[in-house]
Amino acid sequence: MNFRAYRTAFAVHARQVSRYRGAAIGGMVTQAFFGVMLVALYSALAGEGELLRQTATYVWLQQIFFRAFFTTGGEINEQIMSGSVCYSLLRPIDLHFWCVCREMAAKIVGVSMRILPMFLIQFILPENWRMLPPNSLVGFIQFFLSLLIGFCVIAQVNMITAAVTMRTLDNKGFSGLINLVMMILSGNIIPLTLAPERLQAILRWQPFAQMLDAPIRMYLHTASLGEWALSFGVQLAWLVGLTLFSRALWGHNIRRIELQGG
Amino acid sequence: MRYVINAMRMNLRRAAQYRASFWMQTLAQLVMTFGDLWAMLLLAERFGGMAHWSLHEVMFFFGPMQIAFAITEMINRGFGHITTLIRMGSLDTMLTRPRGIAAQVILSELDPRRIGSVAVGLTALIVATRELGVCWTLPNILLILWGMAGAIALMMGLFMLEAVVCLFSVQSVEIVNVFTYGGRQTCQYPLDLYPQWLRITFTFVIPVGLCLQYPICHILGKSLGGVEARAWVWLSPLAGPFFLGLMWLLWRWGLRHYRSTGS
Repeated sequence: MNFRAYRTAFAVHARQVSRYRGAAIGGMVTQAFFGVMLVALYSALAGEGELLRQTATYVWLQQIFFRAFFTTGGEINEQIMSGSVCYSLLRPIDLHFWCVCREMAAKIVGVSMRILPMFLIQFILPENWRMLPPNSLVGFIQFFLSLLIGFCVIAQVNMITAAVTMRTLDNKGFSGLINLVMMILSGNIIPLTLAPERLQAILRWQPFAQMLDAPIRMYLHTASLGEWALSFGVQLAWLVGLTLFSRALWGHNIRRIELQGG
Repeated sequence: MRYVINAMRMNLRRAAQYRASFWMQTLAQLVMTFGDLWAMLLLAERFGGMAHWSLHEVMFFFGPMQIAFAITEMINRGFGHITTLIRMGSLDTMLTRPRGIAAQVILSELDPRRIGSVAVGLTALIVATRELGVCWTLPNILLILWGMAGAIALMMGLFMLEAVVCLFSVQSVEIVNVFTYGGRQTCQYPLDLYPQWLRITFTFVIPVGLCLQYPICHILGKSLGGVEARAWVWLSPLAGPFFLGLMWLLWRWGLRHYRSTGS
C-alpha cells in the first residue's frame, strides 16, 4: 500500500485547520470559561487539598484537549449530498482510512494550537485552581502514548457517527445523540474520577473512557507496569473493535451509495 | 397577530415533516439535560450534598433553570441562529418586509424539540418537591412562574446581545455563547457555591440571581450568600424584563448600523 496519498491528506488538512485562528481563540475563551466554572464549583465542594488539585487538573486537561472531540465528518456527508462524493470514490484510495487521516490531522493540529494558550490561561488562576505538573516523567510518557490512542479512538467514533449520518442524512438526530453520550461518558461533563467506586469499575472500561479519561488517569497517577499494560490493552482493544465496526459500516454504506444525475 | 399564528403553525408543520429526526433530537435534548442532572447526582453523592445545600435543594434550583432556558431556546432559536441568517442574507430580506424585525427573527425558527429538556427539568423539580415537602400554595406557584418568566426574558435579552455582536462580526459567535450556555451551566447550581466575583456577575450584571434564585430561596425559606430572601423577591424578577428592554434598545441601535455581508 502506498502511504503517500494519506500523508498528503494529513498534511493538507493540517494546514487547513491551522488557518482558523479566530475559531481557535473563540474556542479557547469558551473552554477557559467552562474550566473556571467547573473548578470553582469543585472547589466549593471539595475544599482545599489533594482532591481539589487532582480534580482541577482533570478538568483542565479535558478542556485543553476538548478540540479532539470535534469532527470533520460533516465534509463527507456534504459531498454525498452535493454528489461530489463520486470524485472521492474514483480516487484509488481507501476512503475510510483517508478520512481518518484527515480527522487525525484536524485533531492534532487543532489541539496543538490550543495547548500553550490554554496552559497559560489556567496559570493565571489562584494556585489551588491550577493544573498539577505530571506525576513523573514515566507517567507523562504513559499519558502521551495513551493520549495518541485516545485520539484514534475518538476518530473512529467520529467515523461511526459519520456513517450513521450517511444513512439518515441528518447530522443532529442519532449522530447528535452519540456525540452527547460521548461528552457525558468521556468525563467532559463531570470527571469520571468523582464517580463512586462501584460505578467507576464500570465507567473506566467503556469505550468513551478510552478517549481522554484513560490518559488523564496516567497523568495523575503513574501506573505500575501491570496497570499500564491493562489500561493500554483495553484502549487498543476498543480501538481495534471500533475500527472494524466503523469500517464495516462504511463499506456497507459505500456499496449502497446511489449517484444521481450527471 | 395573524402573521404570528401563521408562522407558528408553519414551524410546527416543519418539525412534523421529519418525524424520526424530530423525536431523535428531542431525545438528544433529554439526554443532554439528563447528563447535567447525572453530574449533579454524582457530585452530591461524592461530597455528601453540596456545601450547605442538600441534593434535593440543588435540584430545586436545577429544575426551573433548565425549564426556563429550554423555553427560551424554544421560542428564541431564531436569535440563536442569527449568524446563519446574516450569512445567508435572510436578515436582509427580512429588513425589506413591513413587519417588526425582532418578531420575524424569532418566528423564523421555533424549536419544539426543547421539550426534552423541559421534561427533565420538570422531573427534577417534582422529585425535589416531594423530598423537601415543599407546599405549592398559590403564592409559591405564582412566584416560581413569575421568576421563570423573568429568567426567560433575561435570557432572551442575552441571545439578543449575542445577535447584536453578530451584526458586527459573524466570527465571534463562540465567544458570546459563553454568556448563554455558560450562564445556564453556572446558574443550575445555587450561586453562593461560587466565588464572590462570579456571584455578583450573575446577580447584578446578568441577573439570573435576582430573577430566579432569590425567589426559589424564598420558597425554600433559605438565604443565599447570607442575604435573606424576603418579600422583595416579588419585585426582583423585574430585572429580567428590564435587561431585555435594554438589549432591545441595543438591538435597534445595532440594526441601524448594520451592514449586510453582501452577496
